[in-house]
Amino acid sequence: MARRALWRSGAAKDAVPRIAHLDRDRPLVEAAQREPARFEALYRRYLARVYSYAYYELGDHHAAEDATEATFVSALTNLQRFEERARPSDGEGASTFRVWLFQIARNEVAGERRRARRRPVEPIGETVVDPIDLEAAAVRRDEARAAWQALGRLPGERRQAMVLRFVDELSTAEIAGVLGRSEGAVRVLIHRALKSVARDMGVSKRSGGRRGSEL
Amino acid sequence: MSLIRRDGGEIEALITDRYLDSLLAIQPSPSLVLDGGPLGSDPSLSAAVRAVSRRLATDLPRFHPSFRFEERLALRLAEVAASMRLPVAAGAEGALVPIRELHPATPDSLRATEGDDEWADARPLLIGGAVAASALSLAGAWLAWRRRTSPMARAIRAAHQMRQPGGGA
Repeated sequence: MARRALWRSGAAKDAVPRIAHLDRDRPLVEAAQREPARFEALYRRYLARVYSYAYYELGDHHAAEDATEATFVSALTNLQRFEERARPSDGEGASTFRVWLFQIARNEVAGERRRARRRPVEPIGETVVDPIDLEAAAVRRDEARAAWQALGRLPGERRQAMVLRFVDELSTAEIAGVLGRSEGAVRVLIHRALKSVARDMGVSKRSGGRRGSEL
Repeated sequence: MSLIRRDGGEIEALITDRYLDSLLAIQPSPSLVLDGGPLGSDPSLSAAVRAVSRRLATDLPRFHPSFRFEERLALRLAEVAASMRLPVAAGAEGALVPIRELHPATPDSLRATEGDDEWADARPLLIGGAVAASALSLAGAWLAWRRRTSPMARAIRAAHQMRQPGGGA
């Protein structure tokens, strides 16, 4: 059940205190702030999401692991400084902890990318791991590969927004928090990215299907 | 770009955003559910955008790191957590205790539990490449399962824990 908390925006135009629904992670966050060992629950909840985000961005399992590890260690050591800032517009289930966590992940991924510049890294679309050749999964695998490659060809912020939206299933408001953009800008970013991916994947306007077949 | 065109683009983006909210809220088969729904037939939303959104929502894989990495990082976080407690707890011995041992198997409302993961759906889940180094040899396994809820996922985790030193009989 959602409790309520006072929220004060940092933006001048929104400086009036507002009542906001609490972060859905708040009980876990408060417990971890009291007892750091309790951070495990948050870790287990968000491990795959953070790792997925890092892997989509870096295209390398080892680099993704490094970024994931740095993200959670940083989150744990800085948890006492975390302050909830959920807004009503973030929705009932909004989680400002996860916005904060993905902000950290984004910074760690950027740092990992800087370090990786010294060594060649394949583009995301070319690094799909060959899965086990199960016939039943083959079609699905090809579709996933095509979707992934199309996403990998998007420029930086568009790709990040799409990964956060479709893979990590963050809301537009949450993505805006992670990227430091307005919600409107994120909506436009994603809309343009979708049109770009549609063109790239050959999804026709009339049928809505992919080249040579229906979805 | 003119103001009118920009406004039009923003409106279109807003409609797309609402569609995505609905699409991503529906699991596990958004393409089946939304095709005949009100948003699915909204003429103001581009068919191509609709189609590619459905495709991405169902086809984009998710990734999970290897279980070995997961447990190793859990241990490191336990060490960090223990070091954070030391200055506070006067007289504490400072022995490192794995996080799992601090949490007995008894029900705990503050722990992430089975079914708690809203991320669990029918999407493909790809285990990280590092799992190749694990005893399970699941490198590149392409599995569509409900994490934490499927018998297979539980069996894999149980098998992995059995292979850990002191992880079971």
